[in-house]
Amino acid sequence: MPEIVVKFNDKVIERVVTEKKRISVGRTKDNDIVLENRGVSRKHAQIEFTGEGALLIDNESLNGVFINNRRVTEELLRDNDVITIGKYTLEYHHDTDRPDRAGQMDGTMILNTKQQKQLVEEDQRDRELVSRVGGTVLIGLENAGIAEFRIDNEVTTIGKAKFVHIKAKGFMLSGIQAKIVKEGNEYYIVNLGRKGKVKLNGDTITRSALKNSDIIQVGKTTFRFVEDK
Amino acid sequence: MKLAVLSDVHANLEALKAVVRDIESKAVEKVFFLGDAVGYGANPNECVEIIDSLCEIKLLGNHDYVALGLESSRNFNPMAQKSIKWTQEQLTDDTVARLSDFEMEGSYLDFYMVHATPDNPLEWNYILGTQDAYDNFDHFSQRFCLVGHSHLPCVFRQEPGGNISASASNEPFLAEKKVRYIINVGSVGQPRDGIKDACYLLIDTDEKRFEFIRVAYELDKAQEKMQNAQLPEYLITRLASGK
Repeated sequence: MPEIVVKFNDKVIERVVTEKKRISVGRTKDNDIVLENRGVSRKHAQIEFTGEGALLIDNESLNGVFINNRRVTEELLRDNDVITIGKYTLEYHHDTDRPDRAGQMDGTMILNTKQQKQLVEEDQRDRELVSRVGGTVLIGLENAGIAEFRIDNEVTTIGKAKFVHIKAKGFMLSGIQAKIVKEGNEYYIVNLGRKGKVKLNGDTITRSALKNSDIIQVGKTTFRFVEDK
Repeated sequence: MKLAVLSDVHANLEALKAVVRDIESKAVEKVFFLGDAVGYGANPNECVEIIDSLCEIKLLGNHDYVALGLESSRNFNPMAQKSIKWTQEQLTDDTVARLSDFEMEGSYLDFYMVHATPDNPLEWNYILGTQDAYDNFDHFSQRFCLVGHSHLPCVFRQEPGGNISASASNEPFLAEKKVRYIINVGSVGQPRDGIKDACYLLIDTDEKRFEFIRVAYELDKAQEKMQNAQLPEYLITRLASGK
């Protein structure tokens, strides 16, 4: 049976395995897949399962439907296509019963309704913050001397030195432990100082691209990266 | 107690080694570094390692700051841009980690230290004349301010009445009572005062005696390495003229 994995900010919020001939996607509750976000139209899109395959149709939505980052109006889905609607992604899989997908099914935790709600509310708050501050922001979480810091410089320095943009705490931290570099519309975090002192979502990094909601840890200090996008 | 204050090594390993040997012969207790370990010369990694191990206070200069990718090189002249790009390609992770621990300002006893100017260290302005000095005397509380950046050893005095005078003499001097000083310690690796020898400042804190020390070094060797690295010709020839 075909399966659609719904993600918000890269977190799986729903897996839909269906035998229906047609499923609807939109913001209102009467849809088969409900996407609660302002960028989503009430009846945004539908997927029709025909003899030829699964046909994705954009219901003339305001913000459009994208398959693998390409805007489409009507298109047959291929296995593993990624559909983007607003801030959500929908991964399409032809057949959930395939043996190579069995392991993945068990491995991923699906958020419950409360968690989904929290995720959407958090995103709403982030959008308000970014709009108030007027740009991409680091939010201080633990041991941070700042609540929020707009990172509109080409380079933002983080460390224990007096002159850095954002102070971080921790044992054996370098003066300028890390920098966040803006290149075009992308942000990157780079560890400049002692090795192993900068983590991104729990993993030690030397240089890595940042995406919305990433958790940055410099020594004992943690931040959340909220992108103005 | 004797202090040695070095600045603007600019990756000139031959000049730095000669200065280190000279310091070792003078019973110096502490060595301070005022920034620009890299840029222009052919041995950035080696120079950073020596400075990091030798010096008790280590400051960042504008070339170090740009080399770390913390600021664009767009304010540099084309030759400096070319050499900093080359430098960035040479820097090892170890050098980057060492430089990332250098500070912007330092202080010891009655000495305040900064690479460029006390009023705003990250603006990288110069103290070249009495007006610049006047603008900066209020921005440090200590009696002595030690700077680098211009590669021109010189001394600015602030009299108790507020009058400011400048002297570009290389003669040793004793600090006068109640006078405050901004002292540019000159450059180890790329002197620009017309004397090609490496320059540093020796301070006797008991006598309040200050002396600019000039040290000859293997200039040909430094130039040859820059040639091999295909660094800009002007940067190579200026070492010999000290300008």
